[in-house]
Amino acid sequence: MHHGNHFYGHAHVLAEYCGLDPADPPRVEGYLQHGWNVVDGLGAGTPYAPGLPIFVWSERTRRRAWSMNRPLATVTGAPFLYLLRSLAEPEPETPREGTIWYPFHGWEGQKVSGDHHRLIDEITATEDGPITFCLYWNEFEDSRIRALYEKSGRVICHGYRGYMRMRTDARFLHNQLAELRKHRRVASNRLSTAILYGTAAGCEPAVYGDPMYLDREDTSTPDRIRREWPELHGSAPEPERARATVLAELGDGHLASPAELRAILGWPA
Amino acid sequence: MITMIGGEMPEYAEEHPPAAGPLYRHLADRLPAGIRVLVAGPHDTGLVRALADRREVTCLLRSRPDAETLSSDAADPTESGLTVLCGTLSKLTDADRYDVVIAFDGVGRLCSPEDTPLDWAESVRLLQRSLRPGGTLLLTVENELGIHRLVDPGTPSASRSADAWNAAAEFGTAPGRADRVAEVLGAEGLPVSGMAALWPLPANPTLLINPETLRYGPLDALAALAANVTATAYSQGSVLSDPRRLAASSVRRGIGAELAPAWLVIAQRATRPTQGIQLPPALFVGGSGVGGSETGGSAAGGSGAAAVTEILGTPDGWLRRTGNGTAEPLPDGHLLEERLLSAALGHDLPELRRLLTGWMTELPLTTAGNVLVDGARFTVLDPGEPERSDALARFAHLLIDGGYHHPWPGITDVVRLIAVLAGAAGLANPTDIPEMSGKEVAPGQRSKEVAAGQPGQETASGPRGQDAVAGHQGQEALPGQREQLLQVAALRRQLADAEERSRFFEVELEKREAELGRAKTQIAAFSGNLGYRAAKAGLVLARAARNRIRKGR
Repeated sequence: MHHGNHFYGHAHVLAEYCGLDPADPPRVEGYLQHGWNVVDGLGAGTPYAPGLPIFVWSERTRRRAWSMNRPLATVTGAPFLYLLRSLAEPEPETPREGTIWYPFHGWEGQKVSGDHHRLIDEITATEDGPITFCLYWNEFEDSRIRALYEKSGRVICHGYRGYMRMRTDARFLHNQLAELRKHRRVASNRLSTAILYGTAAGCEPAVYGDPMYLDREDTSTPDRIRREWPELHGSAPEPERARATVLAELGDGHLASPAELRAILGWPA
Repeated sequence: MITMIGGEMPEYAEEHPPAAGPLYRHLADRLPAGIRVLVAGPHDTGLVRALADRREVTCLLRSRPDAETLSSDAADPTESGLTVLCGTLSKLTDADRYDVVIAFDGVGRLCSPEDTPLDWAESVRLLQRSLRPGGTLLLTVENELGIHRLVDPGTPSASRSADAWNAAAEFGTAPGRADRVAEVLGAEGLPVSGMAALWPLPANPTLLINPETLRYGPLDALAALAANVTATAYSQGSVLSDPRRLAASSVRRGIGAELAPAWLVIAQRATRPTQGIQLPPALFVGGSGVGGSETGGSAAGGSGAAAVTEILGTPDGWLRRTGNGTAEPLPDGHLLEERLLSAALGHDLPELRRLLTGWMTELPLTTAGNVLVDGARFTVLDPGEPERSDALARFAHLLIDGGYHHPWPGITDVVRLIAVLAGAAGLANPTDIPEMSGKEVAPGQRSKEVAAGQPGQETASGPRGQDAVAGHQGQEALPGQREQLLQVAALRRQLADAEERSRFFEVELEKREAELGRAKTQIAAFSGNLGYRAAKAGLVLARAARNRIRKGR
């Protein structure tokens, strides 16, 4: 189906959970939500084949999708939770420390604009442990931006999410989970998927700093996100409350069994 | 022996079945021996015979063919206590008075065309005249606004049947509520001593609940019974909408008596009600007694009567006592089918999975309409109902046929939905479940092998796909016309989606073909094809020459 199903190796993670070959996930009969959003689960402008379900993360997203004339939204929970469920946390060699920081990123279609210097200053002033900056692939490949962050901490990239099924890093989420589990905190200047994943993986979340903006970005959505989820914003939100919200947004408690998921996605038993 | 009293219908035999069934039989059996009984209107022969066993019975029938049949059926010398009067109600004289008048068929089929049409109250007045003072009337009053009418695709006011020469239907004068029935009868000098609501059909009820029980009794269990008996009665024929939901929710939400298809009244011709037949809080006909009751009722000794279960209120709680006298606590809880539907409608996946898992673990061979769920406890509502190996498949059909919202809206194919439900129920290998065999499970095969994913021999060959869908028809309550309209709308939507999707894929295909064309060109370029290379080299030379010429200008 849509190549977005392969982003971040989502289909691969689900195939592995279902006991199928993770290297060659079968065609998903519908669209997987590939990141947290406050719309119908799909990114804006996704070419959408009518009559096929969207596999959304949470019941709240499903209700919202229904209200947006997407009646076929089906709650399956986030693939990241399936990964988390199948990969038990190993005994850490070293205790969790420091912060993994995800600066808000652009994508193929829109670049982010903002003052990286000022953001880094604010981060270093807030964080008291070592900082790992995780850049999105396009910013990671931009040596100028990368050099800025390298001055203040370790800089990593989880991999390329893939595009049109090309260069998909099927281990993207595995890499991300392994990194998250090394850190005590996860932070970003925007409430985003990475914050949700980090919190679910046991980090304390924080969202602060210059939010930066995409080219031609409609600011009403980020404003709404800040208003709607205050419990996840600030340099040190209350961890338990934040975690409850995060788990609900990822669809915790709604995950399907392998047999059920296979039937839902139209995969062979 | 037939006595022609006048106004009979010489050619006409009743078109619709007479009042029958184990419940009426059970009530008739409670009448004392040695009394004089008038059975007014068409009643099941078995019921009449059972009454005539130790009593002096007179039957009043307007149809001469029916009267002759009854008379010849009862020609047995041991049943000499039977007299048949043939004619219309108003010809009944008060020369004969009876201890009991039974009119389980109501008063709608007592008058012939030869008579001045009588309304409900006038008919009751005539019946009352044939009672001796202190005598008892057992009368069924059809609720013309009852569930059976609400779901009936036909309307009685447009009936073309041969006895519909006056089809008053809801424009009639019969009281529209149980308490009004009692008021009217009281005013006619027939104070009411017992009253109960009947389901699922006036002519053959299998559930009786008295109004007090409907107010203070175990409503969830009673609602489950109402849905259960309704499902059995509506396994064939056509309805406007699923009557089970209406039956159960009306009982649970406090308007059970108002929407019941009929009321049974026990009244006395006396100045004040006297102790007569006592109605228990509730009676129901379970399992084998449901359906086919005519044959059950006519068997000597009446196996039909034995299938009646009484529900009793005791200080220790509600009990159910079966025909053989054993009493056990009435299982408490809500009908599983309704709990499942409500979780599905509410998109409550965790609850839906919990219910499905509990059901498939505890009672995998019992249909959801026959299971009560109370927290984590799953109990069979009616142990007499046969086991079904396709219980889960039936629920999948219900979800799709009934047009219910559920958490997997993208799945419109019932076989896939069964696989999803099986997965949600924790069955490891859903393809192993006997999806649609639609067979009753042989006694002794009560194992949990279905849950264990090891289908029995008879179920392993269960058909799939279309055969399976066809195999399902006629075993569950048919979808109502409302549900069928929903299905038409759903199919239209699916077709529109499919057409739009095929256009979408065509555009995608065109894009891919263009990409493929470009790729082929590139492949050809690098594949060493001599002609291509020559042409390409020529093109390069030509371009270079052109550029040189341009530069030279």
